[in-house]
Amino acid sequence: MNESQPSATPPPIPPTINSALPLGEHPDDRLPITGPVTAVEALLRQPRRMLFQLRQSGAAKIIAGLLLVAVLCAAVYGLVVGSFAGGAQYWIAPVKIVGGMVVAALICLPSLYIFSCLAGSQARLAEVFGLVVGLLVLTTILLIGFAPVAWVFSQSTNSITAMGFLHLAFWAVATFFGWRFLKNGFAHLSAQSMGALYVWICIFVLVCLQMTTALRPIIGTSEDFFPKEKKFFLAHWFEVLEQRPAQPASATQR
Amino acid sequence: MTTPSQALPPLALGQIPTLLRGEPGPIQLWIGDWRASRVLFYAAVTVAGTAAFGLVLGAWRDPMQGVYTAIKFPLIVLLTALGNGLLNGMLAPLLGTNISFRQSLLAVLMSFTIAAAVLGACAPLIYFAIWNAPKFSGALAGTALTIHSVIYLGLVAAMAVAGLAGNVRLLQLLRRISGNEGAARRTLFAWLAGNLFLGSQLAWMARPFVGAPHLPVEFLRPNALEGNFYESFWQHLQQIFQ
Repeated sequence: MNESQPSATPPPIPPTINSALPLGEHPDDRLPITGPVTAVEALLRQPRRMLFQLRQSGAAKIIAGLLLVAVLCAAVYGLVVGSFAGGAQYWIAPVKIVGGMVVAALICLPSLYIFSCLAGSQARLAEVFGLVVGLLVLTTILLIGFAPVAWVFSQSTNSITAMGFLHLAFWAVATFFGWRFLKNGFAHLSAQSMGALYVWICIFVLVCLQMTTALRPIIGTSEDFFPKEKKFFLAHWFEVLEQRPAQPASATQR
Repeated sequence: MTTPSQALPPLALGQIPTLLRGEPGPIQLWIGDWRASRVLFYAAVTVAGTAAFGLVLGAWRDPMQGVYTAIKFPLIVLLTALGNGLLNGMLAPLLGTNISFRQSLLAVLMSFTIAAAVLGACAPLIYFAIWNAPKFSGALAGTALTIHSVIYLGLVAAMAVAGLAGNVRLLQLLRRISGNEGAARRTLFAWLAGNLFLGSQLAWMARPFVGAPHLPVEFLRPNALEGNFYESFWQHLQQIFQ
Protein backbone atom coordinates (compact mmCIF):
# COMPACT_ATOMS: atom_id res chain seq x y z
CA MET A 1 0.00 0.00 0.00
CA ASN A 2 1.29 3.44 -0.96
CA GLU A 3 1.66 5.50 2.25
CA SER A 4 1.61 8.82 0.43
CA GLN A 5 -1.87 8.12 -0.89
CA PRO A 6 -4.50 9.89 1.21
CA SER A 7 -6.97 7.78 3.09
CA ALA A 8 -10.34 7.35 1.40
CA THR A 9 -12.36 8.37 4.46
CA PRO A 10 -11.55 11.60 6.28
CA PRO A 11 -11.35 11.56 10.08
CA PRO A 12 -14.76 12.02 11.69
CA ILE A 13 -15.73 15.50 12.79
CA PRO A 14 -16.18 15.57 16.56
CA PRO A 15 -19.89 15.81 17.41
CA THR A 16 -21.04 19.16 18.79
CA ILE A 17 -22.32 19.04 22.34
CA ASN A 18 -25.90 20.07 22.87
CA SER A 19 -25.62 23.39 24.73
CA ALA A 20 -28.80 22.62 26.70
CA LEU A 21 -27.12 19.59 28.28
CA PRO A 22 -26.38 20.28 31.97
CA LEU A 23 -22.73 20.95 32.76
CA GLY A 24 -20.83 17.81 33.65
CA GLU A 25 -23.20 15.49 31.77
CA HIS A 26 -20.83 15.21 28.84
CA PRO A 27 -17.55 13.38 29.58
CA ASP A 28 -15.51 16.20 27.96
CA ASP A 29 -16.84 18.66 30.55
CA ARG A 30 -15.12 16.70 33.30
CA LEU A 31 -11.66 16.71 31.77
CA PRO A 32 -9.39 18.38 34.34
CA ILE A 33 -7.73 21.71 33.59
CA THR A 34 -4.12 21.35 34.63
CA GLY A 35 -2.59 24.75 33.85
CA PRO A 36 -3.03 28.15 32.22
CA VAL A 37 -2.38 26.79 28.71
CA THR A 38 -5.03 24.11 29.09
CA ALA A 39 -7.32 26.73 30.57
CA VAL A 40 -6.94 29.03 27.57
CA GLU A 41 -7.48 26.10 25.22
CA ALA A 42 -10.61 25.13 27.13
CA LEU A 43 -11.90 28.72 26.95
CA LEU A 44 -11.45 28.81 23.20
CA ARG A 45 -12.52 25.29 22.26
CA GLN A 46 -14.51 23.83 25.14
CA PRO A 47 -16.16 26.66 27.11
CA ARG A 48 -18.44 24.11 28.81
CA ARG A 49 -15.38 22.39 30.26
CA MET A 50 -14.21 25.71 31.70
CA LEU A 51 -17.66 26.54 33.06
CA PHE A 52 -17.86 23.15 34.75
CA GLN A 53 -14.39 23.48 36.28
CA LEU A 54 -15.22 26.96 37.62
CA ARG A 55 -17.89 25.33 39.79
CA GLN A 56 -15.52 22.77 41.28
CA SER A 57 -13.51 23.09 44.47
CA GLY A 58 -10.17 23.74 42.74
CA ALA A 59 -11.51 26.71 40.77
CA ALA A 60 -9.42 29.28 42.66
CA LYS A 61 -6.20 28.00 41.07
CA ILE A 62 -7.73 28.07 37.60
CA ILE A 63 -9.05 31.60 38.14
CA ALA A 64 -5.67 32.81 39.41
CA GLY A 65 -3.94 31.25 36.37
CA LEU A 66 -6.47 32.82 34.02
CA LEU A 67 -6.05 36.22 35.65
CA LEU A 68 -2.30 35.95 35.13
CA VAL A 69 -2.85 35.08 31.48
CA ALA A 70 -5.20 38.08 31.06
CA VAL A 71 -2.67 40.42 32.67
CA LEU A 72 0.19 39.09 30.50
CA CYS A 73 -1.84 39.28 27.29
CA ALA A 74 -3.04 42.80 28.11
CA ALA A 75 0.54 43.84 28.83
CA VAL A 76 1.74 42.42 25.50
CA TYR A 77 -1.03 44.22 23.64
CA GLY A 78 -0.11 47.33 25.62
CA LEU A 79 3.42 47.07 24.21
CA VAL A 80 1.96 47.11 20.72
CA VAL A 81 -0.21 50.12 21.61
CA GLY A 82 2.85 51.85 23.07
CA SER A 83 4.88 51.17 19.93
CA PHE A 84 2.94 53.92 18.15
CA ALA A 85 4.52 56.70 20.22
CA GLY A 86 7.55 54.75 21.45
CA GLY A 87 9.79 55.96 24.30
CA ALA A 88 8.13 55.96 27.71
CA GLN A 89 4.85 54.73 26.20
CA TYR A 90 6.44 51.29 25.91
CA TRP A 91 5.91 50.86 29.66
CA ILE A 92 3.15 53.42 30.29
CA ALA A 93 0.67 51.90 27.82
CA PRO A 94 0.95 48.32 29.19
CA VAL A 95 0.67 49.56 32.78
CA LYS A 96 -2.41 51.65 31.98
CA ILE A 97 -4.10 48.94 29.94
CA VAL A 98 -3.53 46.25 32.57
CA GLY A 99 -4.47 48.56 35.45
CA GLY A 100 -7.53 49.91 33.66
CA MET A 101 -8.75 46.44 32.74
CA VAL A 102 -8.39 45.05 36.26
CA VAL A 103 -9.94 48.12 37.93
CA ALA A 104 -12.87 48.16 35.47
CA ALA A 105 -13.54 44.48 36.20
CA LEU A 106 -13.37 45.03 39.98
CA ILE A 107 -15.67 48.06 39.81
CA CYS A 108 -18.26 46.11 37.85
CA LEU A 109 -17.98 42.81 39.74
CA PRO A 110 -20.32 43.63 42.69
CA SER A 111 -23.11 44.80 40.38
CA LEU A 112 -22.76 41.67 38.22
CA TYR A 113 -23.06 39.45 41.29
CA ILE A 114 -26.11 41.32 42.60
CA PHE A 115 -27.73 41.37 39.14
CA SER A 116 -27.10 37.65 38.72
CA CYS A 117 -28.74 36.92 42.07
CA LEU A 118 -31.71 39.12 41.12
CA ALA A 119 -31.99 37.12 37.89
CA GLY A 120 -32.33 33.98 40.00
CA SER A 121 -28.84 32.62 39.37
CA GLN A 122 -27.33 30.28 41.94
CA ALA A 123 -23.79 31.49 41.23
CA ARG A 124 -21.40 32.18 44.08
CA LEU A 125 -19.26 35.31 44.05
CA ALA A 126 -16.21 33.19 43.19
CA GLU A 127 -18.00 31.72 40.16
CA VAL A 128 -19.07 35.16 38.97
CA PHE A 129 -15.49 36.37 39.41
CA GLY A 130 -14.33 33.34 37.38
CA LEU A 131 -16.74 34.24 34.59
CA VAL A 132 -15.51 37.85 34.53
CA VAL A 133 -11.90 36.64 34.43
CA GLY A 134 -12.91 34.31 31.57
CA LEU A 135 -14.32 37.33 29.75
CA LEU A 136 -11.05 39.21 30.29
CA VAL A 137 -8.93 36.28 29.10
CA LEU A 138 -10.96 35.76 25.93
CA THR A 139 -10.85 39.49 25.22
CA THR A 140 -7.11 39.82 25.75
CA ILE A 141 -6.27 36.57 23.95
CA LEU A 142 -8.15 37.82 20.91
CA LEU A 143 -6.37 41.17 21.22
CA ILE A 144 -3.09 39.26 21.02
CA GLY A 145 -4.44 37.76 17.78
CA PHE A 146 -5.06 41.29 16.51
CA ALA A 147 -1.69 42.55 17.78
CA PRO A 148 0.35 41.96 14.56
CA VAL A 149 -2.23 43.89 12.54
CA ALA A 150 -2.28 46.67 15.13
CA TRP A 151 1.54 46.80 15.12
CA VAL A 152 1.70 47.09 11.31
CA PHE A 153 -0.73 50.02 11.42
CA SER A 154 1.13 51.58 14.37
CA GLN A 155 4.32 51.70 12.33
CA SER A 156 2.71 52.98 9.16
CA THR A 157 0.40 55.76 10.25
CA ASN A 158 0.77 59.03 12.16
CA SER A 159 -2.92 59.47 12.87
CA ILE A 160 -3.79 58.99 16.51
CA THR A 161 -7.49 59.11 15.63
CA ALA A 162 -7.13 56.24 13.18
CA MET A 163 -5.14 54.18 15.68
CA GLY A 164 -7.63 54.91 18.43
CA PHE A 165 -10.47 53.79 16.21
CA LEU A 166 -8.58 50.63 15.20
CA HIS A 167 -7.80 49.64 18.81
CA LEU A 168 -11.40 50.29 19.84
CA ALA A 169 -12.68 48.18 16.95
CA PHE A 170 -10.38 45.30 17.90
CA TRP A 171 -11.41 45.63 21.54
CA ALA A 172 -15.11 45.64 20.57
CA VAL A 173 -14.76 42.42 18.54
CA ALA A 174 -12.75 40.75 21.31
CA THR A 175 -15.20 41.85 24.01
CA PHE A 176 -18.09 40.46 22.00
CA PHE A 177 -16.58 36.98 22.21
CA GLY A 178 -15.80 37.45 25.89
CA TRP A 179 -19.39 38.50 26.46
CA ARG A 180 -20.61 35.38 24.66
CA PHE A 181 -18.66 33.25 27.13
CA LEU A 182 -20.16 35.15 30.05
CA LYS A 183 -23.65 34.73 28.62
CA ASN A 184 -23.17 30.98 28.15
CA GLY A 185 -21.95 30.78 31.71
CA PHE A 186 -25.05 32.46 33.05
CA ALA A 187 -27.30 30.24 31.01
CA HIS A 188 -25.89 27.33 33.01
CA LEU A 189 -26.27 29.02 36.38
CA SER A 190 -30.08 28.74 36.54
CA ALA A 191 -30.54 32.41 35.64
CA GLN A 192 -34.23 32.93 34.86
CA SER A 193 -33.69 36.14 32.93
CA MET A 194 -30.85 37.55 30.85
CA GLY A 195 -32.13 41.14 31.07
CA ALA A 196 -29.90 42.05 34.00
CA LEU A 197 -26.89 40.63 32.19
CA TYR A 198 -27.60 42.80 29.14
CA VAL A 199 -27.78 45.85 31.39
CA TRP A 200 -24.51 44.84 33.03
CA ILE A 201 -22.59 44.43 29.78
CA CYS A 202 -23.69 47.96 28.79
CA ILE A 203 -22.36 49.24 32.14
CA PHE A 204 -19.11 47.29 31.69
CA VAL A 205 -18.54 48.65 28.18
CA LEU A 206 -19.24 52.21 29.38
CA VAL A 207 -16.82 51.81 32.30
CA CYS A 208 -14.11 50.46 29.98
CA LEU A 209 -14.61 53.29 27.47
CA GLN A 210 -14.52 55.88 30.24
CA MET A 211 -11.39 54.20 31.61
CA THR A 212 -9.60 54.84 28.29
CA THR A 213 -10.34 58.55 28.73
CA ALA A 214 -9.59 58.59 32.47
CA LEU A 215 -6.15 57.04 31.84
CA ARG A 216 -5.27 59.03 28.70
CA PRO A 217 -2.86 59.32 27.01
CA ILE A 218 -2.50 55.61 26.17
CA ILE A 219 -1.60 55.83 22.48
CA GLY A 220 -0.04 59.29 22.36
CA THR A 221 2.32 60.99 24.79
CA SER A 222 2.05 63.50 27.58
CA GLU A 223 4.27 64.92 30.29
CA ASP A 224 1.82 63.74 32.94
CA PHE A 225 1.03 60.12 33.74
CA PHE A 226 -2.63 60.96 34.46
CA PRO A 227 -4.60 63.71 32.73
CA LYS A 228 -5.16 66.91 34.69
CA GLU A 229 -8.60 67.47 33.25
CA LYS A 230 -11.55 65.11 33.82
CA LYS A 231 -13.69 64.43 30.78
CA PHE A 232 -16.53 62.24 29.61
CA PHE A 233 -15.22 59.86 26.94
CA LEU A 234 -17.61 61.06 24.23
CA ALA A 235 -16.59 64.69 24.81
CA HIS A 236 -12.94 63.63 24.56
CA TRP A 237 -13.54 61.71 21.34
CA PHE A 238 -15.29 64.67 19.71
CA GLU A 239 -12.41 66.94 20.74
CA VAL A 240 -9.87 64.56 19.21
CA LEU A 241 -11.92 64.28 16.01
CA GLU A 242 -12.08 68.06 15.71
CA GLN A 243 -8.29 68.38 15.94
CA ARG A 244 -6.45 68.44 12.61
CA PRO A 245 -4.36 65.26 12.19
CA ALA A 246 -1.41 67.20 10.74
CA GLN A 247 -0.87 69.07 13.99
CA PRO A 248 1.86 67.43 16.07
CA ALA A 249 0.24 68.75 19.25
CA SER A 250 -2.67 66.41 18.65
CA ALA A 251 -0.43 63.53 19.60
CA THR A 252 -0.80 64.47 23.22
CA GLN A 253 -3.56 63.70 25.70
CA ARG A 254 -4.80 60.65 23.87
CA MET B 1 -37.13 18.62 54.13
CA THR B 2 -34.87 21.54 55.00
CA THR B 3 -32.86 23.12 52.19
CA PRO B 4 -29.36 24.55 52.85
CA SER B 5 -30.76 28.10 52.58
CA GLN B 6 -33.42 27.42 55.20
CA ALA B 7 -30.82 26.08 57.59
CA LEU B 8 -28.76 29.28 57.47
CA PRO B 9 -28.18 30.89 60.89
CA PRO B 10 -29.65 34.40 61.43
CA LEU B 11 -26.28 36.11 60.96
CA ALA B 12 -25.19 34.21 57.83
CA LEU B 13 -24.18 36.34 54.83
CA GLY B 14 -25.60 33.60 52.62
CA GLN B 15 -29.07 34.96 53.37
CA ILE B 16 -28.44 37.95 51.10
CA PRO B 17 -28.15 36.01 47.80
CA THR B 18 -31.22 34.01 48.85
CA LEU B 19 -33.13 37.24 49.43
CA LEU B 20 -31.93 38.65 46.10
CA ARG B 21 -33.06 35.51 44.29
CA GLY B 22 -36.38 35.69 46.11
CA GLU B 23 -36.38 32.00 47.08
CA PRO B 24 -39.86 31.72 48.61
CA GLY B 25 -39.27 28.67 50.84
CA PRO B 26 -36.45 29.95 53.04
CA ILE B 27 -37.75 33.53 53.10
CA GLN B 28 -41.16 32.46 54.31
CA LEU B 29 -39.51 30.32 56.97
CA TRP B 30 -37.35 33.24 58.13
CA ILE B 31 -40.37 35.54 58.28
CA GLY B 32 -42.20 33.03 60.44
CA ASP B 33 -39.20 32.53 62.70
CA TRP B 34 -38.75 35.99 64.32
CA ARG B 35 -35.29 36.47 65.80
CA ALA B 36 -33.79 39.73 66.99
CA SER B 37 -30.37 38.71 65.61
CA ARG B 38 -31.85 38.30 62.13
CA VAL B 39 -33.51 41.72 62.31
CA LEU B 40 -30.23 43.27 63.45
CA PHE B 41 -28.38 41.53 60.64
CA TYR B 42 -30.78 42.88 57.99
CA ALA B 43 -30.53 46.33 59.56
CA ALA B 44 -26.72 46.08 59.47
CA VAL B 45 -26.71 45.11 55.78
CA THR B 46 -29.15 47.94 55.04
CA VAL B 47 -26.92 50.41 56.88
CA ALA B 48 -23.77 49.14 55.13
CA GLY B 49 -25.26 49.25 51.62
CA THR B 50 -26.94 52.63 51.94
CA ALA B 51 -23.98 54.16 53.79
CA ALA B 52 -21.58 53.09 51.01
CA PHE B 53 -23.92 54.58 48.44
CA GLY B 54 -24.34 57.77 50.46
CA LEU B 55 -20.60 58.14 50.91
CA VAL B 56 -19.93 58.20 47.16
CA LEU B 57 -22.91 60.46 46.43
CA GLY B 58 -21.65 63.24 48.65
CA ALA B 59 -17.99 62.72 47.80
CA TRP B 60 -18.05 64.95 44.70
CA ARG B 61 -19.09 68.09 46.63
CA ASP B 62 -16.81 67.47 49.60
CA PRO B 63 -15.53 64.39 51.49
CA MET B 64 -17.32 65.69 54.60
CA GLN B 65 -20.56 65.83 52.65
CA GLY B 66 -19.98 62.16 51.80
CA VAL B 67 -19.66 61.33 55.51
CA TYR B 68 -22.86 63.27 56.31
CA THR B 69 -24.78 61.50 53.56
CA ALA B 70 -23.41 58.13 54.70
CA ILE B 71 -24.93 58.83 58.13
CA LYS B 72 -28.25 60.25 56.96
CA PHE B 73 -29.13 57.83 54.17
CA PRO B 74 -29.28 54.68 56.34
CA LEU B 75 -31.16 56.63 59.01
CA ILE B 76 -33.89 57.61 56.56
CA VAL B 77 -34.32 54.03 55.35
CA LEU B 78 -34.49 52.57 58.86
CA LEU B 79 -36.75 55.35 60.16
CA THR B 80 -39.11 54.80 57.22
CA ALA B 81 -39.33 51.09 58.00
CA LEU B 82 -39.86 51.70 61.71
CA GLY B 83 -42.17 54.70 61.31
CA ASN B 84 -44.53 52.81 59.04
CA GLY B 85 -44.18 49.48 60.85
CA LEU B 86 -47.40 49.92 62.81
CA LEU B 87 -49.39 51.17 59.83
CA ASN B 88 -48.05 48.43 57.54
CA GLY B 89 -48.84 45.79 60.14
CA MET B 90 -52.45 47.02 60.37
CA LEU B 91 -52.96 47.43 56.63
CA ALA B 92 -51.74 43.93 55.71
CA PRO B 93 -54.59 41.93 57.34
CA LEU B 94 -57.13 44.58 56.32
CA LEU B 95 -56.08 44.12 52.69
CA GLY B 96 -56.11 40.31 52.81
CA THR B 97 -52.55 39.40 53.79
CA ASN B 98 -52.73 37.72 57.14
CA ILE B 99 -49.38 38.43 58.79
CA SER B 100 -48.38 39.82 62.17
CA PHE B 101 -46.81 43.21 62.94
CA ARG B 102 -43.43 41.59 63.39
CA GLN B 103 -43.72 39.67 60.14
CA SER B 104 -44.73 42.77 58.20
CA LEU B 105 -41.82 44.70 59.68
CA LEU B 106 -39.42 41.89 58.78
CA ALA B 107 -40.85 41.67 55.25
CA VAL B 108 -40.37 45.41 54.70
CA LEU B 109 -36.89 45.23 56.20
CA MET B 110 -36.05 42.36 53.85
CA SER B 111 -37.09 44.42 50.84
CA PHE B 112 -34.98 47.34 52.13
CA THR B 113 -32.06 44.94 52.58
CA ILE B 114 -32.38 43.87 48.93
CA ALA B 115 -32.50 47.52 47.83
CA ALA B 116 -29.49 48.36 50.01
CA ALA B 117 -27.50 45.47 48.54
CA VAL B 118 -28.23 46.77 45.03
CA LEU B 119 -27.26 50.32 46.05
CA GLY B 120 -24.08 49.08 47.72
CA ALA B 121 -23.13 47.16 44.57
CA CYS B 122 -23.74 50.30 42.48
CA ALA B 123 -21.54 52.41 44.79
CA PRO B 124 -18.22 51.61 43.00
CA LEU B 125 -19.81 52.46 39.64
CA ILE B 126 -21.21 55.76 40.93
CA TYR B 127 -17.86 56.58 42.50
CA PHE B 128 -16.07 55.89 39.21
CA ALA B 129 -18.49 58.23 37.42
CA ILE B 130 -18.01 60.94 40.06
CA TRP B 131 -14.22 60.49 40.00
CA ASN B 132 -14.33 61.15 36.27
CA ALA B 133 -16.39 64.33 36.66
CA PRO B 134 -14.58 67.67 36.92
CA LYS B 135 -13.69 68.37 40.55
CA PHE B 136 -16.00 70.73 42.42
CA SER B 137 -14.92 74.33 42.12
CA GLY B 138 -16.78 77.53 42.88
CA ALA B 139 -15.28 79.01 39.69
CA LEU B 140 -17.08 76.46 37.47
CA ALA B 141 -20.55 77.50 38.59
CA GLY B 142 -22.45 76.39 35.45
CA THR B 143 -20.59 73.08 35.08
CA ALA B 144 -20.84 72.36 38.80
CA LEU B 145 -24.59 72.90 38.72
CA THR B 146 -24.97 70.51 35.77
CA ILE B 147 -22.81 67.83 37.45
CA HIS B 148 -24.81 68.24 40.64
CA SER B 149 -28.02 67.72 38.68
CA VAL B 150 -26.61 64.65 36.89
CA ILE B 151 -25.55 63.09 40.22
CA TYR B 152 -28.96 63.92 41.68
CA LEU B 153 -30.73 62.21 38.79
CA GLY B 154 -28.30 59.28 39.09
CA LEU B 155 -29.32 58.99 42.73
CA VAL B 156 -33.00 58.88 41.78
CA ALA B 157 -32.35 56.33 39.00
CA ALA B 158 -30.27 54.03 41.24
CA MET B 159 -32.88 54.22 43.98
CA ALA B 160 -35.63 53.46 41.48
CA VAL B 161 -33.81 50.32 40.28
CA ALA B 162 -33.01 49.23 43.85
CA GLY B 163 -36.55 49.95 45.01
CA LEU B 164 -38.00 48.03 42.09
CA ALA B 165 -35.81 45.01 42.87
CA GLY B 166 -36.80 45.10 46.53
CA ASN B 167 -40.51 45.46 45.82
CA VAL B 168 -40.66 42.76 43.14
CA ARG B 169 -39.28 40.33 45.70
CA LEU B 170 -41.66 41.66 48.36
CA LEU B 171 -44.61 41.12 46.01
CA GLN B 172 -43.55 37.52 45.41
CA LEU B 173 -43.39 36.97 49.14
CA LEU B 174 -46.76 38.58 49.82
CA ARG B 175 -48.29 36.53 47.02
CA ARG B 176 -47.03 33.37 48.66
CA ILE B 177 -48.13 34.36 52.15
CA SER B 178 -51.61 35.53 51.18
CA GLY B 179 -52.16 33.00 48.41
CA ASN B 180 -54.07 35.71 46.59
CA GLU B 181 -52.66 37.86 43.79
CA GLY B 182 -55.08 40.74 44.42
CA ALA B 183 -54.44 40.86 48.17
CA ALA B 184 -50.68 40.77 47.62
CA ARG B 185 -50.84 43.67 45.14
CA ARG B 186 -53.13 45.72 47.38
CA THR B 187 -50.87 45.20 50.38
CA LEU B 188 -47.73 46.05 48.43
CA PHE B 189 -49.33 49.15 46.95
CA ALA B 190 -50.47 50.35 50.39
CA TRP B 191 -47.04 49.72 51.90
CA LEU B 192 -45.32 51.43 48.99
CA ALA B 193 -47.57 54.47 49.19
CA GLY B 194 -46.98 54.80 52.93
CA ASN B 195 -43.22 54.30 52.64
CA LEU B 196 -42.95 56.75 49.75
CA PHE B 197 -44.99 59.37 51.60
CA LEU B 198 -42.91 59.16 54.79
CA GLY B 199 -39.59 58.36 53.11
CA SER B 200 -39.68 61.25 50.66
CA GLN B 201 -40.51 63.74 53.40
CA LEU B 202 -37.77 62.38 55.68
CA ALA B 203 -35.35 62.59 52.77
CA TRP B 204 -36.40 66.15 52.09
CA MET B 205 -35.86 67.12 55.70
CA ALA B 206 -32.46 65.41 55.83
CA ARG B 207 -31.10 67.18 52.72
CA PRO B 208 -28.43 67.81 51.43
CA PHE B 209 -27.26 64.47 50.06
CA VAL B 210 -25.29 65.42 46.95
CA GLY B 211 -24.65 68.98 48.17
CA ALA B 212 -25.75 71.92 46.03
CA PRO B 213 -22.69 73.76 44.60
CA HIS B 214 -23.89 77.21 45.70
CA LEU B 215 -24.68 76.16 49.29
CA PRO B 216 -22.30 75.30 52.12
CA VAL B 217 -21.49 71.75 53.21
CA GLU B 218 -23.63 70.98 56.26
CA PHE B 219 -25.39 68.10 57.97
CA LEU B 220 -28.87 69.64 57.67
CA ARG B 221 -30.04 72.79 55.90
CA PRO B 222 -31.32 75.61 58.13
CA ASN B 223 -34.57 75.56 56.10
CA ALA B 224 -34.98 71.78 56.41
CA LEU B 225 -38.75 72.01 56.63
CA GLU B 226 -39.34 74.15 53.52
CA GLY B 227 -40.34 72.89 50.05
CA ASN B 228 -40.77 69.27 48.95
CA PHE B 229 -39.01 66.49 47.06
CA TYR B 230 -41.02 66.62 43.81
CA GLU B 231 -40.55 70.35 43.43
CA SER B 232 -36.77 69.90 43.72
CA PHE B 233 -36.71 66.98 41.26
CA TRP B 234 -38.53 69.10 38.67
CA GLN B 235 -36.03 71.93 39.11
CA HIS B 236 -33.10 69.58 38.49
CA LEU B 237 -34.72 68.26 35.31
CA GLN B 238 -35.14 71.82 34.09
CA GLN B 239 -31.48 72.58 34.88
CA ILE B 240 -30.30 69.71 32.68
CA PHE B 241 -32.57 70.32 29.70
CA GLN B 242 -32.57 74.10 29.63
